[in-house]
Amino acid sequence: MKSKVMELSQAVGEIPESNAHLALGGFAIARNPIAFVNEIIRQGKKELNVYQTVAGMDTDLLVGAGAVKKLAYSGGSLDRFGRLERINEAIDQGRLDIREYSGLSISLRFLAGSMGIPFIPTKSLLGTDMLRDLIRKNDDSIKIETSPFDGEKYVYLKSLQPDFAVIHAQYADEKGNVIIEGPLWDVEMAKSAKKLYVTVEKIVSTEFVKRNPEKVAIPSMYTHAVIEVPYGAFPTAVYKAYDYDKDFLANYAKTNKNAGEYKKFLEEYVFGTRNHNEFLEKAGGLARLNGIKADPVFGYKA
Amino acid sequence: MTVEYTTNELMAVTASRLLRDGDNVVVGLGLPQIASLLAKATHAPGLNIVYEIGVINPDAVEMGVGIADPRLWHNTEHFTSFVGTLGHVLQKGLIDVGFLGGLQVDKYGNINSTLVKTESGSRHINGSGGAADIACFARRILVIMKHDKRKLVENVDFITSVGHLRGLDTRRKEGVPQCEYIKIITNLCVFGFDEDEKVLKIESLHPGVAARDVLENTGVKVHIPDNAAKTGEPTDEEIYLLRNRIDPLKMYI
Repeated sequence: MKSKVMELSQAVGEIPESNAHLALGGFAIARNPIAFVNEIIRQGKKELNVYQTVAGMDTDLLVGAGAVKKLAYSGGSLDRFGRLERINEAIDQGRLDIREYSGLSISLRFLAGSMGIPFIPTKSLLGTDMLRDLIRKNDDSIKIETSPFDGEKYVYLKSLQPDFAVIHAQYADEKGNVIIEGPLWDVEMAKSAKKLYVTVEKIVSTEFVKRNPEKVAIPSMYTHAVIEVPYGAFPTAVYKAYDYDKDFLANYAKTNKNAGEYKKFLEEYVFGTRNHNEFLEKAGGLARLNGIKADPVFGYKA
Repeated sequence: MTVEYTTNELMAVTASRLLRDGDNVVVGLGLPQIASLLAKATHAPGLNIVYEIGVINPDAVEMGVGIADPRLWHNTEHFTSFVGTLGHVLQKGLIDVGFLGGLQVDKYGNINSTLVKTESGSRHINGSGGAADIACFARRILVIMKHDKRKLVENVDFITSVGHLRGLDTRRKEGVPQCEYIKIITNLCVFGFDEDEKVLKIESLHPGVAARDVLENTGVKVHIPDNAAKTGEPTDEEIYLLRNRIDPLKMYI
């Protein structure tokens, strides 16, 4: 059996310097692949095409760093901490080729991609300005058609198989069986990609996987690489591992409102650190991480 | 009713009473969640609560900061994916009530949660998430919002979520599934929509609110008859539950 374990810098190194198509798995303030995203920024990737159901800090970081050319998503936030202002500003200033969907419609594009079918029909988006804008931009993912079966009007959504997908999960084994605790919003997206990269809190044995087969959300054949990055989603939450860091997020939600402040943040936390461990040290290290460890009953810092 | 109550408590109670036992509801954080939990604790113990992130029927012991907060997921009956909630449950037609909020709502009940127009262009705020899908597929829509002239407008800057589109039967003609009703619960009143034209109409004024208060704070022309109904007041039990069991830290009420 060939191990799929990689180092983070090596995994990110596989992504082309420019114009890669990349789906990201974060959702607002939960399970964002922050370590992977920071490494993309450090390695200076450019002109990314990013796909995401509901964006979080991960994509805000990437857009703020000027690494993204095109973004297809259904919006996003930092929940009550604030908005994704790096993304918002880039949209307002016309620096981002933005393609907005509803959460279901972009998820269905991933689902179709994960099943290897060319398109999927839905009534979602009909009548909305997201649909109007997609058509105005001649987006090739959309066709308005009449179903041959019920004669009703539908949006036919082109399936999506991004070159790369990145998610952060609790566990995986060396073969790439991925165990996710909690809700599974990113599973169809993960299965849709040509190459799935999974950063995990801990690499576990296949024996552990076999003791918990019902928790394997993604079986190994979908997975291209497994990268062990403890606290790899910090400062976002990983259910049953650690909580979100509310002070760090509150501070980020202030920082991202201003291009200058964001640049300072980037210089200090991303370019000022060589890897994720140094990023965590910069954020306060062990004392800070001990302060957000999850309670085993509640799955968050109770 | 003997105790004083806040406007948020009245809004939560009003929404709660519109939920029926056995309903499946999609909710977000804040008053929709509070209203659903109140209904579950009173007349609708069989309510099923769905969060789009992939969580069905949790029993949270702490309020969270959003649906991505693990506090909301505690002691749940089911974890699934985004497709599992909005595809399988919602699109299949299993959702009775969808709660929505937004930056602006227009006289046809279309909702904007994406951007606001400015003199120089537009300011992007958030986006749809599952909102557009909920507006499309849920049978009954409850919009909870602050009553403000700039938020209740003639035309929204961006249609994120379809209401009655351009009134009459334009929603049906566009191919959007029909809904039973859309209601808007504000801090001043409850709005519904006219049967035929599908334009905004008053359903009830909250206790102590005058027709003039609504007219002055609504950016849409709306007719308020002299005999407009009054929104029912909360009971002592509802207020007790809200303050002591459902939101004891008063995060949302």
